[in-house]
Order: sequence, then C-alpha cells, then structure tokens
Amino acid sequence: MKFNFNEKDISILKVVSQVSGGFALIVALTMIFSLVQLKTVNPLDNPVLLSIKEQYDKDPSNAAKAEQVRAIDLMARKAYFSSRWQVETGSYLLVAGVVIFIFCQRMIAESEKLKPVVADTKPDSTLNRGKNRKYLLSAAAFILTSAIVSSFFLRADLPDISGKAPTASKKEAKGDEKASAPDKTNWPSFRGQDSRGAAGGKGYPTEWDAASGKNISWKLEIPKKGKSSPVIWGDKLFITGAQDKFCEVYCIDKKSGKILWTGSASDIPGEPAVLPKTDPDAGLAVSTAATNGKVVCAIFSNGNLVCFDLDGKKKWMKNIGVPESSYGYTSSLLIYKDLLLVQFDSNTKISLLGIDLESGDQKWETLRHGRAVWSSPVLGNFKGKPEIVINGNPYVSGYDPLTGNLLWEVECMSGDVAPSVAVNSTMAYAVTDYAKLVAIKPDNGVSVVWEDNTYTPDVSSPVATDQYLFVSTGNGDIACYNALKGDTLWTHYFQDPFYASPLIADDMVYFLDRSGKTHIVKVGATFKLVAESALGEAADCSPAFSDGKIYIRGRKNLYCISKN
Amino acid sequence: MKKALPYIIFILLLFWHVAIMAQDRFPRPEFESGHVYPTNQMPVPRAPFWEYFDVVVLIAALAVTTWLALKRRSRQGLVWMSLFSLAYFGFYREGCICAVGSVQNVSLALFNTGYSIPITALLFFIIPLLFALAYGRVFCAGVCPLGAIQELTGIRPVKLPKFVEILLASVPFIYLAIAILFSSTNSQFIICRYDPFVGIFRLDAPYTMIIFGALLLLAGVFVNRPYCRFLCPYGVLLNIFSRFAGKHLTITPAECTNCRLCEEACPYNAIIPSNLEQKTEEPEKSRKRFILYFVFVPVFAIAGALLLYNLAPVLSGANSNVRLAREIRTEKKSGIESPLKDVIAYKESGKTETELYNEEELIIGRFRNDSPWAGAFLGISFGIGMISLTVKSRRSEYKPHQGKCYSCGRCFKYCPIKVKS
Amino acid sequence: MEGKNKYQSRRDFVKSAGKLIVVLPLVVVPAFLIKKTSVKGYVWQIDPFKCTQCGQCKTNCVLTPSASKCVHAFRMCGYCDLCGGYLRQGVKTISTGAENQLCPTNAITRKFVEEPYFEYTINEKLCDGCAKCVKGCGDFGNGSLYMQIRHDRCVNCNECSIARTCPSNAISRIPASTAYLPKDRK
Repeated sequence: MKFNFNEKDISILKVVSQVSGGFALIVALTMIFSLVQLKTVNPLDNPVLLSIKEQYDKDPSNAAKAEQVRAIDLMARKAYFSSRWQVETGSYLLVAGVVIFIFCQRMIAESEKLKPVVADTKPDSTLNRGKNRKYLLSAAAFILTSAIVSSFFLRADLPDISGKAPTASKKEAKGDEKASAPDKTNWPSFRGQDSRGAAGGKGYPTEWDAASGKNISWKLEIPKKGKSSPVIWGDKLFITGAQDKFCEVYCIDKKSGKILWTGSASDIPGEPAVLPKTDPDAGLAVSTAATNGKVVCAIFSNGNLVCFDLDGKKKWMKNIGVPESSYGYTSSLLIYKDLLLVQFDSNTKISLLGIDLESGDQKWETLRHGRAVWSSPVLGNFKGKPEIVINGNPYVSGYDPLTGNLLWEVECMSGDVAPSVAVNSTMAYAVTDYAKLVAIKPDNGVSVVWEDNTYTPDVSSPVATDQYLFVSTGNGDIACYNALKGDTLWTHYFQDPFYASPLIADDMVYFLDRSGKTHIVKVGATFKLVAESALGEAADCSPAFSDGKIYIRGRKNLYCISKN
Repeated sequence: MKKALPYIIFILLLFWHVAIMAQDRFPRPEFESGHVYPTNQMPVPRAPFWEYFDVVVLIAALAVTTWLALKRRSRQGLVWMSLFSLAYFGFYREGCICAVGSVQNVSLALFNTGYSIPITALLFFIIPLLFALAYGRVFCAGVCPLGAIQELTGIRPVKLPKFVEILLASVPFIYLAIAILFSSTNSQFIICRYDPFVGIFRLDAPYTMIIFGALLLLAGVFVNRPYCRFLCPYGVLLNIFSRFAGKHLTITPAECTNCRLCEEACPYNAIIPSNLEQKTEEPEKSRKRFILYFVFVPVFAIAGALLLYNLAPVLSGANSNVRLAREIRTEKKSGIESPLKDVIAYKESGKTETELYNEEELIIGRFRNDSPWAGAFLGISFGIGMISLTVKSRRSEYKPHQGKCYSCGRCFKYCPIKVKS
Repeated sequence: MEGKNKYQSRRDFVKSAGKLIVVLPLVVVPAFLIKKTSVKGYVWQIDPFKCTQCGQCKTNCVLTPSASKCVHAFRMCGYCDLCGGYLRQGVKTISTGAENQLCPTNAITRKFVEEPYFEYTINEKLCDGCAKCVKGCGDFGNGSLYMQIRHDRCVNCNECSIARTCPSNAISRIPASTAYLPKDRK
C-alpha cells in the first residue's frame, strides 16, 4: 500500500498502536493471572468445597449443611464457567489488540523509508566462504560434543538381555535345568521337594495304628501348637510352633524323636504388638519351614522371618511386615538355590519376595496383582525352565525363580484361594472351592488345556504325575483325573473331610483326612484302596516322607511311622 | 424387593472396586408407560469434500503466490497473500493439516502397517515440494500459515552474527531426522506437539506452548522468521528442492547492474552478491579442499550413524510402551508402587510382563535399526554443507540463494531497476 | 564470455541432474504409498471398552474444555434410582441436591420417568470431560456412561494429544465415514 503518510498520520498511528498494544498487554496479563489462579486452585476441587462436603457426610440429615454445600458448589461452578468464558473472550480480545498493534507498527515501519545504506566494501566471497566453513565446522563440533556428553547423562534403563534372558526370544525358551527326581531322604519344604507332593525312595509303610502302637516308631508332643508341616534334611526334622506371640522353631532328631534345639522367632524388630487375625486354633505357626541342608528358615503369621543354621545358631531375622488377611497368613516358604522365596499376601499388597539366604537382604520383590490368597508357591520345571507357579485370585501366574520376573499369568480363579498348584513335567493344575479346577500348560505363552468343577478342594492341594491328577476335597471326596485330557477316571467318597494335601510315595497316594485316618490308594486308572491307617488324633497337616518313614503332625503330637 | 435390590447390590459393591466396565449389573428397564429411549445427538465430522477443497485452495494459493513473486513481483501482493493464508490455513482451518506436519504422516505410513495415509496429507506433502522444484520456496512466501504469521510480524529486522546463524541453521536438520525417526517408529508426532503457532491459530493450547509461541513471535519481530530459519523441518526439504528450480524469484526485474543497493535488503541473509571482480583462491587449494571434504562425506555419515546408534535407547524413550516397561522395572527394583496412570491401567489390563518386555525390545530394536540412518543423513548433510562452502562460483549478478530464499519479495523495492510494462 | 558460458552450462547441467535425482523420491514415495493411501480421512475415537476413566481426557486435550465428553448409551442404562454415575459414593439420601451429585459441573440431569426408573441425560455444554460419572457408572452400574470424542468440538489433530498419553491405548484413528464408536453398537 503506497500511502503517503504525513506527520499527523504517523502520530495518530503511533497513538493507536500504543493504545492497542497497551490494551493487549493488559488483557494478556489478566489472562495469565487468572490462568495462574486456575492452576493453583481448581474452582471445582477447591478445599473449602471438599471440607464442607466432608462435614455434610458426617451429618447427612443436617439440612443446613446441605444448603451450605449447595451454595458453595454453585459458587464454584459459577467461578469455573466464568473463568472459562473469561479465557475465551480474553483470547479474542488479545488477538484483536495484537492485530491492530501489529498493523499500526507495520504502517509506521513502512513509512520510515530509509535509503538503503551501501557498505564501504563489498563482502569478499572467498573470505566469507572460508569463515563460514570454520563456523560450520565449529557448529558441528559443538553439536557433536554436546550429543556425546548428554549421552552419558541420559542413560536409559535397558531390559536385561544378558545371556539367555527368559524374555529374550519369542521362540521356545528351552531352559537347561533338569527337574531332579525327589530325594529319598530330604523333604525340604511344604509338600516335599519343590513343593510337588512327591516323595523319593521306597518302602514306605501303608499300615499303622496309633492306638495299638503298630508301626509307630516314636511320638513327641510338640511344645507349642501349630498347623505347619514338618520338613526334613538328613537326620534332622524341623517344625514350628507358636503360643500367642511366642514363636519357635524346633529341630528334632528324626531317628529318636528328641528335640535337639529350639530356636526363638520372637522379639524381632518390627514385630507387631497386636497379633494379626488368624484362625484361633492355629496360632502364628501355620506356614511350613524350608531347609536346604545348610540353613532352615521359618515364617510366622505376624511377618516374623528367621533363618538358623542346622545347629541352631541364628543367622538372621527380620519382620517383613504384617500380612493382614481374613484367614491370616498361611503361605509356606520355598528355597531355590541361594534365594528364599516368600509369597507375601496381605490385603494391602501382594507380592513375591526373593530374599538372599546368606544375609537376609531382600534381593527383589515382584508385585503381584489381584487379591490376597492363602496358597503356597510351587517350583515347576517346564521344558528345562524352572518356574514358580502361584495359585492366586484371579491370576494363576508363573515367575522366574531367580529374578522374580512374571513369565505368564492366566485369569481363572476366584473366591478364597488356599490350595497350591500341582505340577507335572508339562502342566500346572490350579483349583479352589466354589471356583473350578484349571489345567494350565505354560509353553511358548500359556494356555488353558482343560477345566472341571466337580471336585474342588478348599484347603488341600492336588498332586499330579504326568498321567494322573489326584484331588481330595473338604467334602470327603477323592478323585483321580486324566492329567492330559481331564476326564474323571475314578472317585471315592470317604466320611471325613480332607485338609492335608495328598502325597505320592512309592507309587501310592496317601490321603490324610481330618480325623487322622490315612487312606492309601494305588496310583492308577482304577480305584484300588491299599490300606487305611488311623493316627488316633485329628490331623490337618500334610505329612513328610523320608527314608522309608512317614512323619505326621497331629493336633498335639508328631508321629514317626515306620515299618518295624 | 425390586426397589431394595439396587441398594443391596450397591452396598455389596461399595467396598469392592471393580476395574473393568461390567455390563448389565442392573437389568434393562421395561417401561410400562411406553417411554421411548431418547436418541443421542452425534454431530458429524467435517465432510470429506472440505478436505479436498483445502487441497484445491492450496494449489490455487501456490499458483497465485508464484505469479505474484515471479511474474508480478509485488511485495504488497505477497503480504496480502500471507494475510489470506494466515486467515484460511491458520485461523479458519486452525493450522491442521499442514505441510510441515505431513512429513510425519508419510514417514508413519512408509514404515508401519496398519496406517493408511489420507490422500490429502500426501498431497499436502508433495504439492509444495513440486512447486519448490519448479519455482522456488513460494510455499514459504505466501501459503504456509506459520511463515505468514512470522512474515507479518517481522517488522524490525536485525542481523544475527554469522556463527549463531550457522549453528542455529543446523537445528532443522536434526529436528527433521528426529521427527522422522519418532514417527516411523510410531512413537510421537513431535512436529505437531511442539508447533509454536498452532496454539495461537486455535486460540487454545497448553499454556506452555502459548508462551513459547508468543516468545518466538516476539523474537521474530527482530530476528525475522525464526521458526522458518531455525526450526522448520519441512524447510530442509524445501531448501533441497528449491535449489534445482528452473525459474526462481529474482531481485532485479531485468539485468543486474551491480549497484549494490540490495546488499542489506534481505533480513534472512539470502542474497548472494556478485564476485567477478574479486580475487579467487588458488584453484589447487580449493580443489584439494573439495576433494578432502568429498572423501570425508562417508566418514561423517558413519560417525553420525554411530552416534545415533548409541543414542537409540535414550531416543526410544519417546515411545510410551518403552517408558511403561522402564517404569515397571523401576517399580520392581525399588518396591515402591508407581502412581502413574499408565502403570495402573497396565496392571488392570492383564497384559503379562513378558509381553510388555518383548514389545519394548522390539521397539528398541527398531530404534537401533532406524537411528543410524538418521545419523547418516545428518553426517551427509554436514558433509554436503562443507562441500558447498568449498565450491567456487563466479557470479556476475546479485541473486538470491535458491535454498534459503523464501521468495518474500522484500528485496524488490531495493532494486532501482524498473521495467516498463 | 566463453568462461561464463562454460559456468552456465555446467551449472545448468548440475541443476538438471540434481532435479532428476531429487524428483525421484517424489515419484517413488507416492508409488510405495499407493496401497497405503486412503481416500477418506481419519477421525479420533475412544474405544469405550478399553477406557479406564483415568481423567486425562479432560486435561490432555489441546482444547479447553476438552473435545471428549461423556455420552450416555441409553440402551445400556438400568435407569436406576441409585445411579452410580449421578450420585456420589456413600450418599445417604437420593436427591438432585449438589451435596449428592458426583458431577462437579452439574452436567447430568435426572428426570423421573416411571416407578422406579429415572432417566439421566448429559448436557454437553456443561460437561468438561472429567470422567468421574463414567467411573462411577462403570464401577457400580451398567457402564452406560462413557467418554467419547465429539466431532463438533474436536479439531482432528494429526496426532491426538489424549491418544498419545492414554494409559490404556484406547484412542485410535478410525475412518471418517464411521465417525463414531458408540458403546451400544450391538
């Protein structure tokens, strides 16, 4: 636009631009101010409104309080909507002001037509080229060094791809650890080695009678009560007991039945003053201990965790937090290589802990998701890969025992999950009462192979071989399934319910019912009862098998049963 | 009982937080009074016709701008064109879709399955480049709304020291490389996210972006076209294409008389003076230098590729899946539950950690594969930049630098030569 | 003159050669993309079944108020007196008073239909997309309230800012011809 501006026009333009610029500035400042206000206190979430609402909640029948809430809510809403309106109109006004300002400024700048100034010397192209080359080189050097320097500070946390990580390849991750056959002497944890429910060795007794003393080698009254099962290494048997808050670990000579030493697991820093809610019969000694021949570890329902060497010297002790749940803490321990695996289930947090056996330091914690359960971890070995399988709610999940990484999970459980899984060389079986029995195959991912809901135990954990799956329920039923297909091969009804888990020894399944009677059935596709033997005392704990002898904990006494 | 049922269920559910959207907790009503379900208003999106119309407007605007810049040589006309583009592509269309961002759409479509590029995006990418190849950067002159807003507010030009200018002019290359890297790995569209002016066009943006845009415009009053010169990634492509334009804007309407009056005319330092009368370097020296830099281009490419390969894990953090996996790992190590919504949503989704870590590894793998190319591109660009600074050229006229010139026409009024129409 | 011509012709040659090289990608890229080009455009939509009602729809949209608002799928609604999306958790009385309402902006209106059914409608002008009612309905009700991106408000960004940060990856591009992903599609 070739307007010829005279002095008057210029001055008018200057004034207009100043006014519009000033106006735009004021609008901008007010908008910034109101935005800052909005950021600090959102009118819809302001603390006054929240506190008034809280007060009203405490006293809902108070009509005056309700009126107050309504009034403040109305004010808050009005403030919110008016601030929105303000921002909207403000932005239009701001744009208008800025446009006018820019327009005027352009006019003014255009009117200041200056004659082009010619520099004295023409820029030397060669010189400039050389200079620019230097500049470009230094610019590139600057960028390069800042990129290299920043790469040291911006370290990115990479996944662990060292060696054969279980997550590395999508191909069949074959491990190189073979599942070892159960040892004939050692019964290192709840339900035996790897918590699989199978005993090694042969020649286990099938007939005994406590009343007459037949085949009872010795009987020992355990000083304090508990529901934990015995564990055995070599000649030493370990069992826990607790009276009120006093928790103890007993080492018993398995040959003579004499207590060798008693370790105290009380007065541990972090121990709660108030005992958590547990089954009143059980007390705090519900979880079974674990041993690896060098140390024995025990955990109690108040979160006390202790580790002794086999001679009774305390190695370390700690309290890992009080697990609060409706039935109290019941998960048993498992030892894998140098790690103590603790399944921690509490209403506020559920996780799997890996604790260093030597020092007691927590190496890792894998948070699990879902609700608290009362099952115990089981070490499965699928295609050479060891996996910890946990029956949870709602997920049955597999974890790497060394790192705690979640390998797979299947959403299939519900209700009060107490039975642990049964594993064989390819599958894991999870079940709980009022839900169903699920056969899971962890193989290049995970899949559910079959399901059934006819025989569902509430406490006792099933046991599996590669062909058969044995289940005993709280109704008194026992059942045998085809492990691969899931068809029921046979069932039998007994009078008394089963809490203890069935265990397989010497090609026979030992079902211990709550009255203390053990029903021994041959492992096979047809029901063949071999013997029934009575303990003479109520029994809820799964037995331990070692060197041809069976060790059963009754309500009060520990029995050693052997063929005389 | 029917009345009380909801209360009972409500109280039961009161303490049981269900993460998944449960359906049909309460049975659908059977209205006795014959009440009809109301219908929801579903306002439709912009009709596709208008998207194609935008392309037509783009082509028309480019044609008019070309005519204004090359034929009519009217600076005022170009200013009005900028105003129109600001109004249409900027405030009316709210700055989206734009040619600058279309680079990402092309990159996303080329390197990913599952995304088909809309034809309008592809056309917005190609058409300005075609015009640049034929007529120079006429897109920047009067069609790009980002350029328009900077052009219209660039009132008091100030020259930058050469070193600063060269340093800042390397940023668009890095920006382009990273933008293509991020969009090809389906991580982010950073050009769109960090577009300083789109918030002004929409009159609505996160306040940080508004402040950035306002500050940039304020700086642009003095250091004209800051985004175009020092940030625009599409400008790199326009720069390359424009260099080969047969017809380009000229400062003089006829022959240049070397009057030198236009030397300080360009705020963007895009005018190359003539140098016939100046002493040139010894041809040996310059030839050696040329060969040296020519040979070094592969070295620069490899250096760039190596650097970016090492930076790949850091860059992969732009991807939300990678960030989530890292957060989960930190959570496990520290034992402290992360409050991040992504972590909570992940836990509720039932996705296994194996799946997440596998995804993460795949993405990091993609970054490791793709970032060396970005690095090589940067190295080669640097090499070519150095080479172009070694090439001697003997010029008899004052001409605009075809890569840098935005065809804005500011220099027209500085040239005293008038052609009788 | 000779020198100048030599320069000119050299420069012209370089220019023509360069032009050809540079045109190549402009031809090759569209050729590659022929199969991956859609004639129609895309719009952004939330998958209501993936949404976890995290509340980021309100804060992460480039627009204020957000382009995603609560929509009511009436066919899924139970028309309950004790509506989980309308009433705050733990209210003792059921009324339309502000002390009982969950929605901070009073965007839900409750209307009595017949015994014992109440109809709840969303006033979109007032809704700011905070997803509180959606969460309440999902937790305690039929999940008939859901978050959805409204096309009269959405500016159809090249990359949706909410989609970028959605924790459950619930927002994706759908063909513009489909326009909406309602929750009661079946």
